[in-house]
Amino acid sequence: MGKLYDRLNQDIRFIEGLNGCLNCGVCTAICPAAEFYHYDPRVICATVQSKDEKMIEALIRSETIWYCGECMSCKTRCPRNNTPGFVIMALRKLSQELGYFTDSEKGRQQFAIKRAIGGNILRTGYCVNPDIVSPQMHPEQGPVWDWISMNTPEIMKKMGSNYKQAGVGGMRAIAPEVLEELDRIFEVTGCYTLFDTIEKHSKHKANELGIEISDEGIGNEYFMTVYTENNGSHNG
Amino acid sequence: MAINSQHIVIIGGGPAGLEAASCLGTAGYRVTVLEKEKQTGGKLLIWDKLFPEFRNSDKVLNHLSNGFKTNPPQILTNAEVVSVIPENGQHRINLRDGQAFQADTVLITTGFKLYNAEKKEEYGYQIYENVITSFDLEKQLKTGNPIRIEAGLTPRRIAFIHCVGSRDIKSGNIYCSRTCCITGVKQAIEIKRRLSDAEVFNFYMDLRMFGQNFEELYIEAQQKWGVTFIRGRVSEIAENKDNSLQLKAEDTLSGRPIKMSFDLVVLLAGMVPEPRTVEIGKSAGLEFTSGNFLAGLDSHISQNETNTPGIFIAGTCREPLSVAETLTDARAATVKMISWLRENETSHKKPLIKRDND
Ligand SMILES: Cc1cc2nc3c(=O)[nH]c(=O)nc-3n(C[C@H](O)[C@H](O)[C@H](O)COP(=O)(O)OP(=O)(O)OC[C@H]3O[C@@H](n4cnc5c(N)ncnc54)[C@H](O)[C@@H]3O)c2cc1C
Ligand code: SF4
Ligand code: SF4
Ligand code: SF4
Repeated sequence: MGKLYDRLNQDIRFIEGLNGCLNCGVCTAICPAAEFYHYDPRVICATVQSKDEKMIEALIRSETIWYCGECMSCKTRCPRNNTPGFVIMALRKLSQELGYFTDSEKGRQQFAIKRAIGGNILRTGYCVNPDIVSPQMHPEQGPVWDWISMNTPEIMKKMGSNYKQAGVGGMRAIAPEVLEELDRIFEVTGCYTLFDTIEKHSKHKANELGIEISDEGIGNEYFMTVYTENNGSHNG
Repeated sequence: MAINSQHIVIIGGGPAGLEAASCLGTAGYRVTVLEKEKQTGGKLLIWDKLFPEFRNSDKVLNHLSNGFKTNPPQILTNAEVVSVIPENGQHRINLRDGQAFQADTVLITTGFKLYNAEKKEEYGYQIYENVITSFDLEKQLKTGNPIRIEAGLTPRRIAFIHCVGSRDIKSGNIYCSRTCCITGVKQAIEIKRRLSDAEVFNFYMDLRMFGQNFEELYIEAQQKWGVTFIRGRVSEIAENKDNSLQLKAEDTLSGRPIKMSFDLVVLLAGMVPEPRTVEIGKSAGLEFTSGNFLAGLDSHISQNETNTPGIFIAGTCREPLSVAETLTDARAATVKMISWLRENETSHKKPLIKRDND
């Protein structure tokens, strides 16, 4: 398997993201995730910089690495030109590859993201669009969302979008040749391999927990479990 | 006293220039000091009390001026040097007003400039009225007037921010400005002396208390004056509706992001080279440090000599230093200059002051 630290060092984001951290805390002071979660990008840099394999393993098995919102505010301020957000990306990738992400509640959500957003992109060319955001799955959208989702075509028309039609404009249908291109990009960049890895480890976890999981889509018990579970200990 | 006919020009009449002038004068050399301002003294004219013993800066200034009892130098003020050109084994020093001087050897002591804190826009200097620099505070303290914020009120919570424009790749200055930590301690104590009810906080990354009695002063700030030190670099400052300031940092020792409100924020801006000094250095073929200060020939054994024979450097034009260090550095430079002049005595030069427009 090789040492975790060495594997991180093969990731360009890690090489670019950590140039020697002086532990000043500016990244944490600017980080929106640190305001809400038990999360401290400075400590993450210090942990990784220690090259302590046990601590790095604990980190990529933990909830912590999944709190970052990838906003890259930390990049703008660090006096050493580090980007903790990049370090997080490299840690997440390693956690995905090794299957450690299934050890944590936030990590298990990788499965939901892969099935939902990952599926959406390949099917429609959009990460999210109004058709996909169902009121049942998204109570945070509020009661008005019910009405919008029942009247989407009319509303989209009123708003001047090119809803589901060929050609240009917002909300247009993405052309088949573009979707094919996306498919090739996912193939060439290793995205499909990563998807398969997430599937494999998630299925393993589902079986371990005795929760039903399907081969496709979001209509299965494991999806709903990782989508909704919240142990309440992430912040506060 | 026999006056040596060799002529020395010192560029800059701050602490370094004045100390070197008195040493070289006492040693019997003919010295001209060129000072761009209307008065010599450099930053000592601006600072109120000096660390570490809170002596009035005037006291040090008086000492420097009293060094001129024997063989005083010729001091020219309003004389800004723009270039130094090596010429026939001598040096030609050009002023902004067109005058020129010849010298056998030149000592550059043009000092430093305060880092322009406006560049760190996240701290809001010149945007928020109650964000000031250590330089501004020093000027305010020197007036002797009570400390007030813009609205005329007495500040109750005051923050000092360390490393503004230093130790920061983003601002282009990787080096440590060395004296701002102890300046922050000095000014924090000075505020507590005048406003005993005020709460004073220093936000630092490391406290660099390298000099004699610096650490003692840090302890005094904590124990006697109740100044609070928080280890964390400030990420940004925002202004509240009432013109107070909200500051964000991480208390890295407890690992918690914090937001705090202050009435006054003082930025401990670092030292940068004077742009004019960089021009002079280039004209004389000198080399520069990575921070763009004038570079000595060797960082251990000859910090005051340069790669251009006959041109010497001392004080904060070559690296951030305290006053005590600056004076030591100036004295060290004069020893090297005297050796150099002795070795080059045999050449037949006309060392008279020559003014082009005479
Ligand atoms: C806010 C602050 C507070 C400080 N407080 C203290 C303290 O309490 N105690 C302490 O020990 N140190 C203190 N220091 C450090 C101290 O200011 C320096 O050590 C000292 O000023 C260095 O002296 P210098 O002669 O090298 O430079 P300067 O003091 O900068 O003098 C340089 C002189 O050269 C002149 N000059 C510049 N360019 C030209 C030119 N082209 N032609 C002619 N003349 C020129 C300038 O006008 C000036 O007179 C403080 C620094 C800061 C920023
Ligand atoms: S990228 Fe992540 S670590 Fe960086 S500031 Fe944003 S949320 Fe915080
Ligand atoms: S801002 Fe940069 S140097 Fe400071 S703690 Fe974060 S990563 Fe380290
Ligand atoms: S002396 Fe202190 S405040 Fe100044 S740059 Fe160095 S560490 Fe920062």
